[in-house]
Amino acid sequence: MWWGGRGQSFNIAPQKEEPEMGSVQGRAMPEPRSRQLGSCLASGCLTGEQILAWAPGVRKGLEPELSGTLICSNLRVTFQPYGWQRSQETPLSSEYDFSLANIGRLEAVNGLSRVQLLRPGSLLKFVPEEILIHGRDFRLLRVGFEAGGLEPQAFQVTMAIVQARAQSGQIQKYAGLTLSKAGQSPGSRKPPIPLLEISEDWETERKKQRARGWRVSTVNERFDIATSLPRYFWVPNRTLDSEVRRAFGHFHQGRGPRLTWHHPGGSDLLRCGGFYTASDPNKEDIRAVETMLQAGHSDVVLVDTMDELPSLADVQLAHLRLRALCLPDSSVAEDKWLSALEGTRWLDYVRSCLRKASDISVLVTSRVRSVVLQERGDRDFNGLLSSLVQLLSSPEARTLLGFQSLVQREWVAAGHPFLTRLGGTGASEEAPVFLLFLDCVWQLLQQFPAEFEFSEFFLLALHDSVRVPDTLTFLTDTPWERGKQSGQFNTYTQVYTAAYSQPPAGNSINPQLSVWDWDLRYSNEQILQFHNPGYNPEHCPDSWLPRQQPSFMVPGPPTSVWLFCRGTLTPLNQLCPWRDGPSLLTVSSRWLPRLAISSESLADQEWGLPSHWGACPLPSGLLLPGYLGPQIRLWRRCYLRGRPDIQVGLSAPTIAGLQNELSHLQELLRKWTPRIPPEDHSKKRDPNTILNPTEIAGSLMGWGESGLG
Amino acid sequence: MLGKGVVGGGGGTKAPKPSFVSYVRPEEIHTNEKEVTEKEVTLRLLPGEQLLCEASTVLKCVQEDSCQRGIYGRLVCTDFKISFLGDDESTLDNDETQFKNKVVGENDITLHCVDQIYGVFDEKKKTLFGQLKKYPETLIIHCKDLRVFHFCLRYTKEEEVKRIVSGIIHHTQAPKLLKRLFLFSYAAAAQNDAAPDPKNHAVMFDTLQDWCWELERTKGNMKYKAVSVNEGYKVCERLPAYFVVPTPLPEEDVPRFQGHGIPIWCWSCHNGCALLKMSALPKEQDDGILQVQKNFLDGIYKTIHRPPYENVKTEDLSSNFLSLQEIQTAYSKFKQLFLIDNSTEFWDTDIKWFSLLESSSWLDIIRRCLKKAVEIIECLEAQNMNILLLEENASDLCCLVSSLVQVMMDPHCRTRFGFQSLVQKEWIMGGHCFLDRCNHLRQSDKEEVPVFLLFLECVWQLVQQHPPAFEFTETYLTVLSDSLYIPIFSTFFFNSPHQKDTNVHQRQLSLPLTQSKSSPKRGFFREETDHLIKNLLGKRISKLINSSEELQDNFREFYDSWHSKPRSYHGLLLPHIEGPEVRVWAQRYLRWIPEAQILGGGRVATMSKLLEMLEEVQSLQEKIEERHHSQEARQAEPTSLLRNSARLSSLFPFALLQRHSSKPVLPTSGWKALEDEEDLAKREDEFVDLGDV
Repeated sequence: MWWGGRGQSFNIAPQKEEPEMGSVQGRAMPEPRSRQLGSCLASGCLTGEQILAWAPGVRKGLEPELSGTLICSNLRVTFQPYGWQRSQETPLSSEYDFSLANIGRLEAVNGLSRVQLLRPGSLLKFVPEEILIHGRDFRLLRVGFEAGGLEPQAFQVTMAIVQARAQSGQIQKYAGLTLSKAGQSPGSRKPPIPLLEISEDWETERKKQRARGWRVSTVNERFDIATSLPRYFWVPNRTLDSEVRRAFGHFHQGRGPRLTWHHPGGSDLLRCGGFYTASDPNKEDIRAVETMLQAGHSDVVLVDTMDELPSLADVQLAHLRLRALCLPDSSVAEDKWLSALEGTRWLDYVRSCLRKASDISVLVTSRVRSVVLQERGDRDFNGLLSSLVQLLSSPEARTLLGFQSLVQREWVAAGHPFLTRLGGTGASEEAPVFLLFLDCVWQLLQQFPAEFEFSEFFLLALHDSVRVPDTLTFLTDTPWERGKQSGQFNTYTQVYTAAYSQPPAGNSINPQLSVWDWDLRYSNEQILQFHNPGYNPEHCPDSWLPRQQPSFMVPGPPTSVWLFCRGTLTPLNQLCPWRDGPSLLTVSSRWLPRLAISSESLADQEWGLPSHWGACPLPSGLLLPGYLGPQIRLWRRCYLRGRPDIQVGLSAPTIAGLQNELSHLQELLRKWTPRIPPEDHSKKRDPNTILNPTEIAGSLMGWGESGLG
Repeated sequence: MLGKGVVGGGGGTKAPKPSFVSYVRPEEIHTNEKEVTEKEVTLRLLPGEQLLCEASTVLKCVQEDSCQRGIYGRLVCTDFKISFLGDDESTLDNDETQFKNKVVGENDITLHCVDQIYGVFDEKKKTLFGQLKKYPETLIIHCKDLRVFHFCLRYTKEEEVKRIVSGIIHHTQAPKLLKRLFLFSYAAAAQNDAAPDPKNHAVMFDTLQDWCWELERTKGNMKYKAVSVNEGYKVCERLPAYFVVPTPLPEEDVPRFQGHGIPIWCWSCHNGCALLKMSALPKEQDDGILQVQKNFLDGIYKTIHRPPYENVKTEDLSSNFLSLQEIQTAYSKFKQLFLIDNSTEFWDTDIKWFSLLESSSWLDIIRRCLKKAVEIIECLEAQNMNILLLEENASDLCCLVSSLVQVMMDPHCRTRFGFQSLVQKEWIMGGHCFLDRCNHLRQSDKEEVPVFLLFLECVWQLVQQHPPAFEFTETYLTVLSDSLYIPIFSTFFFNSPHQKDTNVHQRQLSLPLTQSKSSPKRGFFREETDHLIKNLLGKRISKLINSSEELQDNFREFYDSWHSKPRSYHGLLLPHIEGPEVRVWAQRYLRWIPEAQILGGGRVATMSKLLEMLEEVQSLQEKIEERHHSQEARQAEPTSLLRNSARLSSLFPFALLQRHSSKPVLPTSGWKALEDEEDLAKREDEFVDLGDV
């Protein structure tokens, strides 16, 4: 990282003393047992991976205690329990692997002395009895070393970790990862979800949303409008590509207004960057901008995204504080825990996001209008809010498949700078906005346990994947870089097609793996747990009746233009800031207290009644989250994983247990009634089909009924 | 949709299925048949209930700043409750009546449930008490179950305002005599009903037999014996008629100090170690008497502490542990967080929620109780020691700690029957002064301490952390906490079994009630810690009490090792007591706050799923059973509680009853008009499944 160049300042055993790292077999190991081990270790290596050092040890803290080997390679640190074989199917392990970039803190313990390594100038002067690797993803690996002649190894492995960590300043992607699934040749492999790198994906998604007034624009196909924008996006039907080009130039970094989601009730949710105030657009340009913002609606609401939300620096600081608080040895007394938690402000930021998202979903639902999320960069909180709004308003987004598509569209394709925000570039703009988003989703999951198809375990998996450099999903800042690195295009003169839709003849391009290829890191059993057993199929997408879409084009200028800020709608004279006077949006309104009137939630204002007044007034499918102090909770299973005293909860297993019981009974019943076709129930669920929502709904729902005959 | 309707029309004729099960099942509640037929919402009176005063055109406000929105109706005060009868009330559909409290309706406040009454004078809120010179425009009632009512009296006739306000204030705040409790009028009027046998719900511990059974159940009968020395309360009115003492203890010792200084058995652990309690000897200045006390205690002590076979450790709950005053202060701060007058106030405090919560230190008190219980369990379980709990009257923290220990150690106490028996044994027979601690007679605010609630809070933490270990749910605990203030159950309305027996007995014999001898002032504001006990037992204790550091280590080790093992719900159950694990009992405290409602969410969403699957499993099991026995197909109809409820909210089952109907419903009208074209749109759009691309 930023001090990576100063690796010499460590008191590290000189390189030459460690003979030929990488060829473990050649090393003289003290015991015969280790020699066998050596070959065993090497078997799980990735291409280009070299084992730097290893030592036998015992994993502590988690039950059961496991004895095994701590291995440090140039890519990762792994604790490999005895008898555990890395399966060829899953080259990475979510449980035992620690990517180097994920190591947040390293502590060596001997007796009473405890040294923090990884800090410039820290020295390891003793042979460690135990080392603690604190992951930046809140995981903790605690390994105790065996005494009895192996101390040098313990020392070596510790120093190797320090060194490897220091040298991995630039995050390297694990090279040569392939899914060795039988029968899937690289060319024909279909990604688990549409990656939105080809225009067909966008077209399909558009149709799915029934956004009939919109079309897929190919104007950015060669990334010449903006490298941070996806190659394709949705613009109004009637807007020509030339107009798009013209309009986008007047937005910050060329990120003009694009559709993110079409509400079945007719509203459109758009997102765009800030107006480029220094530019001097002519009349036609202004008209183009306005048409695109208006999107054919007579009612337009501009949402100042950053209003009442934390800044990037705030988020980063809060996350750091949270991490410090959740360390196992955090010195906060039990009775001061709550105020310390409050002091991190993390939950407060979660609350702000939920509150704002809830308000925006009301805006989108209550009237047919165009709602435009406007953030200066359009790459952070716009994505967060638009995803949350969709989660709140669309049951489709709450399915496993839908949620993954949502993240792919609103974060990955929309150009959220993952690498920078997660600290991969070492730049100062680190801020885990995506993790903040995951926390928000977890809150929703807590509040609406029956509305989401995915489980907390899935969210955790996504949370942890962020720091595993296995796929390009989280390793780049822009769609352009991602495309470039995955070798999708070699020159800029072609019109590109993604590898999987039209495999270039005779070219063995490695198909791009994405984070959604879960079987890289998770076993089938684990993937089965991505499912929320409490998901209530009554709320499955089919039962959601979309409402009619009004005629698209409204002639003339919008009749009402609003700015949504501090919880209230303020009328605006014009959409664009250029015509006369400075932009309203340049006035920063953040952190101003809300007006007293806005203590009533937006739902009250929009509907004339509070959302809590009975179930009827709420449109089906819309969730309004609670965001009161007592309702925003700490994601303990994520943040407190390092603390051995925190155990997992129990209600989900109860449901899962019942489900097992159910299927067992079904099985029994089936045996006795041959008239039911056997494949109905005997089919074991394959994790690959699990991502199919209809099947899941069927399997959840159908068990009882079909069994009863 | 919200519509007009008459409440009571549906529920009046047929008895609703029992849904809330209270500690003691209420006798059937009868409605006056003739009132049901009336058009307006009628006042439903319990047997023996009398109307005292009423006022019409009272506006019940929704909790907002302005009183603009609300429901007009009559406000009445009876000798049992304050009740608001709205002119316009929504019909409760079947699901809702099913979950309705049978005794206390949505707009009913029992007089004992009233916590504070405020009046609004010219936008200023003042506490109301005593004689009023001026009558308020708005009456705000804070309830002990944390509901808040706003009644606007602006449109009410002046004399009615005077009558109702002073009536309410008098009947809720003036000190009362025990015999004036509604309990007695109700009991007299409802006498004819065959009371259900309480034995079905709990062991009552009012016979020698019950105690013997309990001894047998816990295998404590080798070392302990049930005694009837206090039969007819000859020895002391504080103790129950029957109780259990160590076998070697001479029975004639019991009356020496009216039962003080006697180790009384609570429970025996599987390894034979027992939990005992003892009330401290009265404080004396006289050296002679002190010497007598010391000799007496030494003798007692010798009978129970006989190393190496019987080791006893004394746990003095009067010092080094919570004081009642701490509990009182913490709870009164804590409950203020949830007694919300208007939403603005709520949002203001919301941002500081965690620090406010922490500063009330209520959660910390819960943690300390749980921790104390774990410490005691460690001694019983790991060190094989008897534990002697010591407290001034052995009726507050003793009850709390000993019952908590039993809930954690004895799986029987985690069933509903067992839990109710436990409450009966430790709290009712243990002589917890419910009358004083709940301040039912309004005689002393200082005595009002929510000790029993604190116990329920601790149990809630356990239920929350280990739901499968308990037969009951948090809703049971919430309803139980509410029933403290419903004076038709006699359970929580006496200071001791003696008081209950004498009063109920006299009542039945129609003898003139004598002035109750209840509640000799037991001040808990002790000037100094009980050095007396220390002096007397000091020498012995010092030998037994480990250094606190060592104690901490033992505790930590025991606690950690239990939590690191795979658990069984049928044995010892320990709580997590770390900072993030002790939580707010959201159901109890947030249930009346509309802003806290999560539509379609909350735990009930999982619960309904769970029930559904449970039903399916059951019906399948039946099906399989049938196939085994006969080919005859009999369709089992699963009864569903929740299936029909379209969208439950997180406040279930309490929020269902809190539906307001004064505001118009207007939002989706725009879409409705367009709904016809919807089908058209559906047909036009081709739906491409992404999975098939």
